[in-house]
Amino acid sequence: MRRIVIPALAALALLLAASAPSPQASAARGRGESADDTALEALLASDCVDEAAMELQQAAGRLPQEGGVASDEWPPHAIGGVIPPIRSVSDLFPTFDGIALDSENGRVIFSDENRHSLLVYDRTAGGSSNEPTEPVQWVFGPKTQMGFVAGVEVDPPHREFYTVNNDGGDRMVVFTYDDHGNVQPRRTLILPHQSWDVSLAPKRDEIAVTVQQSNAISFFKRTARGTDAPIRTIRGLATELEDPHGVFFDEAHNELITANHGNWTQIRPYTPYDPIVTDVGEYKSGAFHPSSITFHAGDANGDVPPLRRIEGDLTGLNWPMGIDVDLTHDEIAVANYGDSAVRVFRRGDRGNVQPVRVLRGALTQIVGPISVAIDVKNDELWVANYGDHTAVVFPRTASGNVRPKRIIRNAPKDTPTCGFTNASAAAYDSKRDEILVPN
Amino acid sequence: MPRISVFARLANGIVAPKRVIEGQATNLSRTMHGIAYDAVHDEIVIPVALGGAVLVFKADASGEVPPLRAIQGTRTRLVRPHTVAVDPVNNEILTADPSMRAVVVFDRTANGNVAPKRVISGPRTGLLDIVGLDVDPIRNVIVAASRKGNGEKVGIFVFDRLANGDVEPKQFIGGPNSKLAHFRQVTIDPVTGNIFLAQQNTRMKQMEAYVLDKPREGFKPKEKDKDDEDDDSDSGRLDQMGFIAVYAPDDNGDIPPRAIIKGPGIRLAGAAGVALNPKKKEIITVGGNGFQTFLLPEFFRALKKPGATQE
Repeated sequence: MRRIVIPALAALALLLAASAPSPQASAARGRGESADDTALEALLASDCVDEAAMELQQAAGRLPQEGGVASDEWPPHAIGGVIPPIRSVSDLFPTFDGIALDSENGRVIFSDENRHSLLVYDRTAGGSSNEPTEPVQWVFGPKTQMGFVAGVEVDPPHREFYTVNNDGGDRMVVFTYDDHGNVQPRRTLILPHQSWDVSLAPKRDEIAVTVQQSNAISFFKRTARGTDAPIRTIRGLATELEDPHGVFFDEAHNELITANHGNWTQIRPYTPYDPIVTDVGEYKSGAFHPSSITFHAGDANGDVPPLRRIEGDLTGLNWPMGIDVDLTHDEIAVANYGDSAVRVFRRGDRGNVQPVRVLRGALTQIVGPISVAIDVKNDELWVANYGDHTAVVFPRTASGNVRPKRIIRNAPKDTPTCGFTNASAAAYDSKRDEILVPN
Repeated sequence: MPRISVFARLANGIVAPKRVIEGQATNLSRTMHGIAYDAVHDEIVIPVALGGAVLVFKADASGEVPPLRAIQGTRTRLVRPHTVAVDPVNNEILTADPSMRAVVVFDRTANGNVAPKRVISGPRTGLLDIVGLDVDPIRNVIVAASRKGNGEKVGIFVFDRLANGDVEPKQFIGGPNSKLAHFRQVTIDPVTGNIFLAQQNTRMKQMEAYVLDKPREGFKPKEKDKDDEDDDSDSGRLDQMGFIAVYAPDDNGDIPPRAIIKGPGIRLAGAAGVALNPKKKEIITVGGNGFQTFLLPEFFRALKKPGATQE
């Protein structure tokens, strides 16, 4: 039996080391004594060309074979144990997800899905540097209760910002402008699973939250906390909400504007605590529809159709994520993830219409955008990239393949993004010698 | 982000995928908690939970490409397919749908609105929240990982491959000695039949405040416990840490695994998914925002009963 037992912290350090630039290869390699080593040797020699992986394996072999790990006695007599990986792929840097802009106070708040944080930058931050941009404030750590966060919203009058846990803790967490570091949220609101975005309606003192798997928008009082129930929900076949993502509560026109991916299923309860539901009336099968922007009445409740929608080939909508609305110029900006573009529509558009502007191309450095924010006061457009460790800032009316004015980096230039978060499955492609990871 | 990221096997560190399958035309959605590679037909099979569908792609697909085939429609009865397996020998695709509380078997070449060949579901099956699935065409078994909220019948269910309807499993691994609780993907080594399971942590799945978008009647939040804030991730406590458990094909009952990977490496991965490279004797674990590869030739041999001398 070959059993490698190493202290937890040492292994953690080794893993972190594996993620750093590869160290120099070492000729020496620790070896065990069992007959397995012949096979191990051969396998390592042929496969572990990666120097970091070799170092990791060697270091593990040099560590003392000691016990002391809390659960080391279990399972009794099993082979294996606390074993370091030979290779480790992960992204140690933040990835920008949602954006919320407070132009009055010169703050821009990003949610970070990868490291589970909120990062606050000065509005004028960024530039042409290749180095990471320093945030002026951040909220990060286990006390924050942040998981795989998505949408973010800011409430300047109350000096608060919120983010929604899309997974890994079904809740919205609220922080103030004064919160910094590993701090508990000022309040927490439990939300349905797979909530994605949040939009504040200040006059109503309400928030609207999109829920992906239920194809719904739930509304809460702004100050709701704990298990406070929604005050109403838009949900049902007639709503045409289909895997909703970004949402904007347009109080000026009393409309809810929502970006939809187009996936739909008549979901039934499924968790181990839920009832087994068989009586669903007429069974409606799953469907794939085109992406769309839907407009619902601000007072809508229940299974109500949209007032209008933007949908069709001319729109170019392709997995629209976050949206923002410019009420001064009557425009909607859409982070169009599927073609790495920002598409701008007139607020009153309906049907199969072309955008008034498209910001797209290599010069833009827009890569897999998740969210947008329009800064009317300063005449700028912000875009958060999931496909790169950046956010890019343009003149508000920028169009076509143009360079950004400023770049905000959360990692050194050219740092790759692994491009997945909260993955729960994998497969190995033996023909191509590849690992498949679905999100 | 709904996408299939493809990495070189030797990828290490902070690396970008070699290629990605994503975009509107792919019909992918989030919650793809299973994936299967069909080496015989060189295809990828993937469940689309939010579209009530199972999709099949060419294995070399890249970018925004439509699937070769899509199983979706009223005859399928699919609601929220969560995980998949493929049986290239018997030409079948299997999916587990927690909303249906069922394992559903289709012809491998099924396309469009087609009825399943077999459905394993009902109270005798013990299946409820089915999160992992694989099929062994050599030993003719289907292995499903399913959870129940009350702690009963949380574990690995083994059915005859041709089981159909409300049938009891031929084997069940679960119980307090197994420490099986919050697990997900299960996979089988085709050579030995060894069953590999990825468990995220040893705490039972917690009750959620909502049933879909409706507040759960009578729900009372737990007393605040910092270790329970994120039910889907590891707590960081070594005694609650997840693991990769390995069982022999004929294992049955309330037993601990015969082989295990645990520790900080698994913690970083979260151990929600597990895949095998039998040729190179590698185990790939995935979870959270990363994946790790372990080299363990002894896990790809016939596993002796705990305590016996390993050959």
